[in-house]
Amino acid sequence: METSPSTILRPTVHATIPQFWGDLRAMGWVAKKEWLYFVRYPSWIISLVVWPMIFPLAYILSARALSGPDGSGLALFTARTGIADYLGFIAVGTTIWMWQNVVLWDVGFSLRREQMRGTLETNWLSPSWRMTFLIGPSLVQLFNMLMFLAVSVLEFGMVFGVRFNGSVWLTLLVVAASIPPIYGIGMAFASLVITAKEAHNFVFMVRGLVMIFCGISYPVSILPEWMQGIAQWLPQTYMMRAVRNAALGNASFQDLTPDLVALASFGAFWLAAGTVLFYWMERRARQTGAIGQY
Amino acid sequence: MSDWAIEVEDLVKKFPKKENKEAAKDGDPTPIKRGLFNFSKKSQVQAEQKCFTAVAGVNLQIERGEVFGLLGPNGAGKSTLIRMLCTLLEPTSGTARVNGFDIFKQANQVRQNLGTVLAGERSIYWKLTARENLEYFSALYHIPPAAAHKRVDELLERMELTARADDLVEKYSTGMKQRVAISKALVANPPILLLDEPTLGLDPQAARNLRELIAELKAEGHTILLTTHYMEEADLLSDRIGIIDQGQIIALNTPARLKDRINQRDVIRMEVAGWYEELASKLQVVPGIDKMVTRRMEGEGMVEVSLHAENSRAVLPGVIEKINYNGTRLVNMNIVKPSLEDVFINLTGKALRD
Repeated sequence: METSPSTILRPTVHATIPQFWGDLRAMGWVAKKEWLYFVRYPSWIISLVVWPMIFPLAYILSARALSGPDGSGLALFTARTGIADYLGFIAVGTTIWMWQNVVLWDVGFSLRREQMRGTLETNWLSPSWRMTFLIGPSLVQLFNMLMFLAVSVLEFGMVFGVRFNGSVWLTLLVVAASIPPIYGIGMAFASLVITAKEAHNFVFMVRGLVMIFCGISYPVSILPEWMQGIAQWLPQTYMMRAVRNAALGNASFQDLTPDLVALASFGAFWLAAGTVLFYWMERRARQTGAIGQY
Repeated sequence: MSDWAIEVEDLVKKFPKKENKEAAKDGDPTPIKRGLFNFSKKSQVQAEQKCFTAVAGVNLQIERGEVFGLLGPNGAGKSTLIRMLCTLLEPTSGTARVNGFDIFKQANQVRQNLGTVLAGERSIYWKLTARENLEYFSALYHIPPAAAHKRVDELLERMELTARADDLVEKYSTGMKQRVAISKALVANPPILLLDEPTLGLDPQAARNLRELIAELKAEGHTILLTTHYMEEADLLSDRIGIIDQGQIIALNTPARLKDRINQRDVIRMEVAGWYEELASKLQVVPGIDKMVTRRMEGEGMVEVSLHAENSRAVLPGVIEKINYNGTRLVNMNIVKPSLEDVFINLTGKALRD
C-alpha cells in the first residue's frame, strides 16, 4: 500500500491553552480525580468520623490511671507543661501525629498507588508539569485533613469535654505554618517510595520518631538531653508545642513567633528537599524505566 | 519540519543487569567496585558486561501517514523502542525525532504530538466514568474546556460509548476499556499514534473492530507505529514492517516484499503426536531442510512443526520416515504459502512467539 504524504489530510494537534494555565487546570483535574476516587470508596467515613475519637483514647485512659484515684497527679502534669487541660494536651499531640502519619500514607504513596494501578505511565505521557501529579493529590489530602481536624475538634469537645480556650486565629496560623513541613516530608517520601517500591518500614520509622521524640502525650522537657537534641530537628515538636500554646495556653503572637519561624524554616527546607528528590526520581525513572515497573 | 513522522538514528538502550550475588560469590573473583569516582578502564569494561542491551542501534524512518508495523517476539525490544519514542525512557545513546521534535531536548512537544497506548497497561481509571477519564486526559493535554467537552463527545460517539459514557469503567468489557484507552490517545488529535500490542487480550470481534479503527485512523492521515506479535495483524494493517529481534531491526520492507524473500522456499507445516525431544535433532539433519521450529499445541498433546526447504517433494520421504517411528505419528501436514512468521523463522531460526 503506497501513501503519498502530500495527498494526506494531516491531523493537527488540538489547540491548547498556555502552559501555566494548562498546568493549573490539569492540577485541578488531578485533584478532582483523587477526590472522586476518595468518595467512591465509602470506607472514608470511618477514617473521618471514628478515628479522631478512638485514637487518643488509649493515651487518655493511661493518663487517668497514672494520675491517681483522685487525679492529684494532674497538678504535677500542669506544673511541667503549663497546660491544665491534659485531655486537650493529648488530643493535640495525637492529632498532629495522626496528620503526619496520614500524609505519609496518602501523599507519600500517591505516585506508588498510580504505579500499582497502572496509570502512572499514562500520566507521564502527557505534556503536563510533572509536579502536578504530586501536588494534586496533596491538595485533596490537605482538604480531607482539614475536615479531619474540624471533626476532631468537635468530637474532642463533645466526647472528652476539651475546651479550646485560646485564640482561634493564632491556632489557625500555627496549623497553616505546619502545612509546608508536613507536606514537604510527604512529597520527599513519595519520590523515595517510587524508587524503592516499598516504604512501609520508613513510614514506621518516621512515625515512631514523632511518637517518641515530639511528645504526643508528654512534654519534651521530660526526655533525656540527647533525646531533646533529636526532638529539636523534628518540625512536629514545634507544631505540637505551638498548637497547644495557641489553642489551650492563651499564648500571644510574640510567644509563638520562635515556633512559627522554626516551622517556616522547616517548611522551606522540606519543600525544597521534596522538589529536588522528585526531579531526581523523575530523571532516574527515565533512565531506568522505573515509572512502569511494579 | 522534518519530512519524516518518526526518525530514529542509532538508538541504543542498555539497562543495568541485576547483580546475582551467588554468581558473584562463586564465579566472579573481581566484582565491580561501587562508587561515584571509579573511572578505571577495567571497571568500565566490567560495567559494560553488567548491562543488558534492550535496543542495539536501531535506525528507522517512518513516513507521514504510514502504518508501520514493528514485529518481533516478546523481549525483542519493541516496547523499549516505543517507550523511548514516547519519552518515558531516556536512550543510552542515539537520537530520535517525532514529528521533527527531538525526544530528549523537546520532550514536551513530542508528548503533545503523540497519542500512545502501551501494552498491558491499564492506562485508564476504572473508578471514573469514560467521560471523566477523557475529560481528565483533555486537561492533562491542555485542551481548553469548551473544546475538550466537544472532543470528548465526538470520541464517545465515534467509539460507540455514548450510551455508557457515565458508567464507571470498571463495569465495562475488555473491548470497551480498550476503546476508552484509544480515545484517550486520540484526545489531543495527535498526528502520530504509538500502539503497543493494541489487540492483546481482546476477543476476536473486539480485535477485528480495533483493526478497522486503525485502518480508519490511517485514512484520516494519522501516522501509526504499531507493535504486535500477531503476524496476520501486522500483515493486514501495515504499509511497511520492521522485524525486530534482540534489539535490532533485522528486516524492513512491505509485507509482500518480505514474503517474496522466501517465496522460493516451501513451508511444510505438520502436526505430530507422540513428540519427543530427540526427534527435533533427527529432523534437522534431513538433507534439504533449512530451518525448523516447533511449537507445542495447547491442550492437544501435539507439536506443530514448521520446516523450510527449497524442495518439499525431495525432503518429505525422509521427514515422514523419521516421524513415523516408535509410536510417533504424523497427524496432519500441509505445504503452505510463506507467512510473515515464516519470514521471521527464516531470519532468526525461531518462532515469533518463542
